[in-house]
Amino acid sequence: MIAHRTHVPQGPIQPGLTNEQLATLLGERFALTRDASDRWDLTLVCKAEQLREVVKYLRDEPTLSFAMLLDVVGVDYLAYPGHRSERFAVLYPMKSLAFRHRLVLKVMVDEEACVVPSLCEFYKSVEWAEREAWDQYGIVFAGHPNLKRLLNHHEFVGHPLRKDYPCQKRQKLSMNDPMIDQLEARLRSLGYTILERGETSVGQAITRPSAVPSALPKAGGKP
Amino acid sequence: MTYQNVPAPVAPEINLGDSFVTTRVDAVVNWGRRNSLWPFPFGTACCAIEFMGIVSSVFDVSRFGAELVRFSPRQADLLIIAGTVTYKQAPVLRRIYEQMCEPRWVISAGACASSGGFYDCYCTVPGIDEIIPVDIYIAGCPPRPEAFLESIVQLQKKIDKESLVEQRTVGI
Amino acid sequence: MKVITPQGEHVDLMTLNVGPSHPATHGTLRILAALDGENIAGCVTEMGYLHRGFEKMIEQGTYSQVLPYTDRLNYCSAMMNNIGFCKAVEKMFAITVPDRCIVVRVILSELSRIIDHMVCTCTNLVDLGALTNFWYFFNTREQVYVIWEKLCGARLTNTMTRIGGMYRDTYHGFEDDVRAVLVKIESAVHEVRGLIEHNKIFIDRTKDVCAVSAADAISWGWTGPCLRASGVDRDLRKDEPYYGYETYNFDTVIGTSGDTFDRIMVRMYEMIESVSIVRQALDRLKPGPINTLDARLSLPSRDQVYHDMEALINSFKLVYEGVRPPAGICYDATEAANGELGYHIISDGGTNPYRVKVRPPCFTQYAAYADMLTGSMLADVASSLGSINIIAGELDR
Repeated sequence: MIAHRTHVPQGPIQPGLTNEQLATLLGERFALTRDASDRWDLTLVCKAEQLREVVKYLRDEPTLSFAMLLDVVGVDYLAYPGHRSERFAVLYPMKSLAFRHRLVLKVMVDEEACVVPSLCEFYKSVEWAEREAWDQYGIVFAGHPNLKRLLNHHEFVGHPLRKDYPCQKRQKLSMNDPMIDQLEARLRSLGYTILERGETSVGQAITRPSAVPSALPKAGGKP
Repeated sequence: MTYQNVPAPVAPEINLGDSFVTTRVDAVVNWGRRNSLWPFPFGTACCAIEFMGIVSSVFDVSRFGAELVRFSPRQADLLIIAGTVTYKQAPVLRRIYEQMCEPRWVISAGACASSGGFYDCYCTVPGIDEIIPVDIYIAGCPPRPEAFLESIVQLQKKIDKESLVEQRTVGI
Repeated sequence: MKVITPQGEHVDLMTLNVGPSHPATHGTLRILAALDGENIAGCVTEMGYLHRGFEKMIEQGTYSQVLPYTDRLNYCSAMMNNIGFCKAVEKMFAITVPDRCIVVRVILSELSRIIDHMVCTCTNLVDLGALTNFWYFFNTREQVYVIWEKLCGARLTNTMTRIGGMYRDTYHGFEDDVRAVLVKIESAVHEVRGLIEHNKIFIDRTKDVCAVSAADAISWGWTGPCLRASGVDRDLRKDEPYYGYETYNFDTVIGTSGDTFDRIMVRMYEMIESVSIVRQALDRLKPGPINTLDARLSLPSRDQVYHDMEALINSFKLVYEGVRPPAGICYDATEAANGELGYHIISDGGTNPYRVKVRPPCFTQYAAYADMLTGSMLADVASSLGSINIIAGELDR
């Protein structure tokens, strides 16, 4: 099992550091640069290889105490006017519960490799958020224990939120995911040994998906 | 005793008076079916909240005999689809429909179930009639409770016209 | 399936699928559990059955066209989603809406919070078999809907806010209607609390069921009532106040053990706090403009449009093109009924949002659900799922 260290804040929230102080501190320590496109709050650009180190520091340093990772946001810059660098980006909005700190880490992701390190061992909230980002953008999170689709069905091909995925390109599903493999993995992680996979009726294919029932005669009509 | 003394057989109607009425089987069966619809709410999204509204006291769907909500498709004869149906949901909906016994009717409540609504994209079914047959469509996003009630009245009228002789389309 | 437990026993587990079409799972959530008798040895959860492409759709339209989509995120409290999105776009424009607009938004937010908590608690109680509470709360909810209808015509999905203001000002008699409904709300909450708070069946089914510790809740990224039920005193209205929430006199409601009972009770008492906020806000409601006068956001008055060429052009541009926030990345959050509702907006300076990521509060709560259930009983599936208030619209988007 993964150990999660979390500090439960006591008492009311403290003002903490300003955005400028945070930017200076992290700039000196990790050479993070401030993203100029965020002109309202603090977004710091971070390299993928130093991401885990930075996040660990942000979470465990008592004067920063970023106890909560709110979300994992994938971005596709393919159609962004004037964008010249890597195609994808991942944004990690974080906040502290002890101080009024908020920041967003931004990691640029190259289209060829399309990999960023997974943060699953630092926050429990990350596992599903990374699954969603993989599902929607195809960004691989290296080290993720169960990188499966979350929102789209398991027969889906492609990644719909990429800018080159047509909005109306529909993909049908013939049968729901039985999920037995996920359940077995879950039981194994809880310490069970699987001897035999039992009978299950979960999941059933649509027999005739092409039938158009509305064209058939309805009740009350002439036979 | 001669043959002539035997009283002529009396038609039974004469003694029974007005204690019975004659009617067609269709009319009786349809009367029963129309006034005791048991809905299965296949509620997925916003419209399901409005469905809860018509079940509660203010709009009170029991005035129309359709208040006995069943959560097993095998016990229900009215399938109300309230909410968006996605391709991930489609096999589930199809399976639920197949589990219902005849006679069964389907109400498609709201823009999303009827046409996909304004979610015209990669994951939504553009109208559930791609998957199952529909008897009544309700407009609205979400439909007002009055529209829900009107759809039940319309369905009752439709049931009234049905016949036991002319078989309903069983399955698809 | 035949397994060996961590204790070394040979057991035959039964695999049970719950949902997605199950009354307690709101038609859209699925749980696959391995049962040892009535105990859940392990389970996995699935979502996405209501994934309807919110984030793809709103990239196709203008910023104003996003508003109806935000209604359908958390459809139990549609107004708060509108307000959250408008507040984020207004932050990008660096404008503040007029005072009257702020106060009206606070009133609508808090009323929405109340009706959201009402749906959450009463459906949760229905899942436990207590149907009476459903009528009590839904009758009151209908009375709030009457106010919504008078305000904008719609009951559920209102689209009442606009970027830079509101669709329209309140109607004559709005304050009296709200004050009258607040009394009804208080009495409904009182009645339901009287039915459940010391009810032995209710307590047995919810106390110490699916408890989540404060440390776990934080690591799971929980916010809102569920986090507070675990004993963490955090509320964006207090911590990062917006819309003058720091000037209102109200308490945050905190639980102690983070079990199902606490999560329901935190919502019950939060309704009372929200009633108090609405009363204070009604006292502050002063006449004044409801929309900002910033020409980048607000339509000019009809009178100006008919007589002034500049105003006509402005109106034309706003209707045909829409608003254009400056290019950049902006994150803004509000305390919605379920917790922190965040909008991460990326603008390229054009009229359509380049990318909007919603941070739905119940996403993190549902992610934790499989862990919560492990080791509890099958009957707790229904009772605890209602208490974390999963709204599929914002969960799956």
